[in-house]
Amino acid sequence: MTEVACKSCKYITSEATVCKICGGRDFTKNWYGYLVIIDPEKSEIAKKLGIRYPGKYALTVS
Amino acid sequence: MSRFFVVKTTANQERLVANMMSMVAKKNKANVYSILAPKELKGYVIVEAESTEDLVKSIRGVPHVKGLVRGEVSFNEIEHFLTPRKAAEQIKEGYTVEIISGPFKGELAVVKRVDEARNEITVELIEAVVSIPITVKADHVRVVDKKEEVE
Repeated sequence: MTEVACKSCKYITSEATVCKICGGRDFTKNWYGYLVIIDPEKSEIAKKLGIRYPGKYALTVS
Repeated sequence: MSRFFVVKTTANQERLVANMMSMVAKKNKANVYSILAPKELKGYVIVEAESTEDLVKSIRGVPHVKGLVRGEVSFNEIEHFLTPRKAAEQIKEGYTVEIISGPFKGELAVVKRVDEARNEITVELIEAVVSIPITVKADHVRVVDKKEEVE
């Protein structure tokens, strides 16, 4: 099971169909860096990156 | 106000640790807000939590956690991990690089051209008899020597 990242919002998922966060359909296997957001309202990192939903994200996608 | 802590992990297990820690944090109701595992930082994860107690709650029983780094880090210190610079921006023409993946893995080459927009570089292999320019992704090379070549 390979994990893929959404090219627009960088959300990591194992189902490359439709992104749960932004509805995008463009996924990539080439992503780097790993970020788990547990509480987007209190997290400074989530605020900085504009993340509004908890989940796993990549830092860079190519 | 959240604070940032560093947890030492087994190398290459950072993602597993981050996943396990998030599950343990939810189970133990620890005030952990996010866990960051940048690719540049091998063997460590950065944890954003309310306090040291919350951090300790979130690593309880998690495999591959080797310990906590004393003290905390400021947001300024980790900010550069969040917006990583493109690999091509750090490479200039004339640099000697080693190709680290693909069919030319292990070969040394001299950079001839850098395409920052595409994150690609064009190199010429040093040991090739006839020099043929090849284009590779900037992520697939490692800078060996930053001296610009004297013709």
